[in-house]
Amino acid sequence: MNLLAADLRAFVAAARKELRQQRRYPTLFLGLLFWPVLLPASWVLMGHAYSGNDPAALAAFAERAGSPDVAGFVFVGYAMYMWLSSLLWGSGTALRQEQMRGSLEAVFVTPASRLVPLFGPGVAMLIPMSLTFVIMGVALWAFFGVVPPLAAVLQAAVVVITGVPALYAIGTLFAASVLRFGEVGPVVQLVRGMFVLACGITFPVAMLPLWAQVWAWLMPPTYIVEDLRRILLRGANLADVGPHIAIVLTIAALIALLAVFVFRALETSARRSGMLGRF
Amino acid sequence: MTAAPAVLAKDLVKVFERGRRTMWQRLRGEPDKRERFRAVDGIDLVVDPGEIFGLLGPNGAGKTTTMKMLATLLIPTSGTIRVLGIDPLAHPREVRARLGAMLSGERSLYWKLTARENLEYFAALYHVPPGETKARIERSLSAVNLADRADDYVERYSTGMRQRLALARALLPDPPLVVLDEPTVGLDPQASRDLRDRVRELKAQGRTVLLTTHYMEEADQLCDRVAIIDHGRIVALDTPAALKRTIRAEEVVHLEIGVDGDESAVIARLGRSATLARSERSNGTLTVTAHCASARDFVPAAFDAARSTGATIRHIEVVPVTLEDVFLSLTGRALRE
Repeated sequence: MNLLAADLRAFVAAARKELRQQRRYPTLFLGLLFWPVLLPASWVLMGHAYSGNDPAALAAFAERAGSPDVAGFVFVGYAMYMWLSSLLWGSGTALRQEQMRGSLEAVFVTPASRLVPLFGPGVAMLIPMSLTFVIMGVALWAFFGVVPPLAAVLQAAVVVITGVPALYAIGTLFAASVLRFGEVGPVVQLVRGMFVLACGITFPVAMLPLWAQVWAWLMPPTYIVEDLRRILLRGANLADVGPHIAIVLTIAALIALLAVFVFRALETSARRSGMLGRF
Repeated sequence: MTAAPAVLAKDLVKVFERGRRTMWQRLRGEPDKRERFRAVDGIDLVVDPGEIFGLLGPNGAGKTTTMKMLATLLIPTSGTIRVLGIDPLAHPREVRARLGAMLSGERSLYWKLTARENLEYFAALYHVPPGETKARIERSLSAVNLADRADDYVERYSTGMRQRLALARALLPDPPLVVLDEPTVGLDPQASRDLRDRVRELKAQGRTVLLTTHYMEEADQLCDRVAIIDHGRIVALDTPAALKRTIRAEEVVHLEIGVDGDESAVIARLGRSATLARSERSNGTLTVTAHCASARDFVPAAFDAARSTGATIRHIEVVPVTLEDVFLSLTGRALRE
């Protein structure tokens, strides 16, 4: 068995271990049932309340958002938010839990690549995340009567899949910091807040000042959420969003390289300072 | 041709910073005023293949730091290390692949997984070939007598069982070298004995075992050779029997003496008949540890000394020489201080 195959097997084992542990706390999955529905639904209702369902207000929204479908717009944005939250918190939290539990050193004393504990837990999060998407889709249909065509849903799934590396890389960048600094929760909170504000999660990017829009279009989530809305709500297809996908993949590659570099540097620093075993 | 040492450390040093330097101090470029202390201060060590080698010392002596440097978890400040002939700084993955390590004991396991699930995960991390994984896990579980509880959640295990499972995990890569950091800490006497038996079996299988402990009995009973470590330095290194011979006493006598006034007179009188390794006064009680050739001769002399100085012997205990006494004679402190 060559080293790469052995590390891939370790990678799968890390994801399976994480899933097994999640399964042993079934109540965690309760959150998956109501948060993906309650939070976006409250934003949709708030939007309707503020507009008073005035056709002029809805037209103004459609002009900025590119679609008059307020519920679809908000649900897609929230799906992105939850996905982003899960990956931003997920890898870092998993690494932090290993550190606090005392298992991080046991993992790091094995010959497996350091990238296994870094990336492995994130893979396990894709399953509950997929479930979240399904629940949000069902809620959108059941409560707001929005049913995108199947072809659009399948194409949106492709956008989601091609967006995984970018979000994964962003999450990993913060997870790496756990090795050296321990608690990185407040930084993740800050970054998540910035993404919510800048990436058009709950409102169109067009509402931002021009300089902020420039920054917004440097962040992969802005492209992903925009492409999902174009496909699901505005009838675009994969060919239309192809350039965006290419940009997202390029940024993902750059962030992933940066994450691996940062991880290596911080791991070396932690091995010098003894931070691996401390918390 | 002689085999390469299982572990070789030469002038090994690890310096840590004590205190903290705030982000504000860093941003302002203030000089780093943190105190540097040498957790490991020039250790030289050669562990031969197939032996059980113990690092014995009190908490904070530098045992775990040394172990972590050997296990690639810490980068030394200076010095040379070879593990099974490999430089862990240049080739850390090669070292990890050949090393079974039990470092954080029961805490290092996933309590919400079963023992088998824990070992399945670590077998993948240790790159055990898929075709061998099942047999390797069964063998490791049997080696620590946990085969019948393999499918129980670890949270339902006793501390001793978790320690044994951590040892089973260390055996997964079928390592020629096993490092154990305080393997019996927190265990009851029965569980400790059981774990020590498992460690002896490792030696019988031809593996080298390097362990740290602050239990002198453990080092005495288990180790072929012991390095006594204090303040990051090795203060003595030999077989337990040879170490005990160094204090030139056959027996150790612990005395508790009631003293009203100055204790120097009784100490001086006692010192004529034995080597006093330690004397400490607390309120009206003087506690003395004396190393002597024969307790049969020293005890009457001690009573005479007490009587002639107006003191009273309240308690007397005669014990054989232990590594604790060796540590005491070398450092002037007890291991548990």
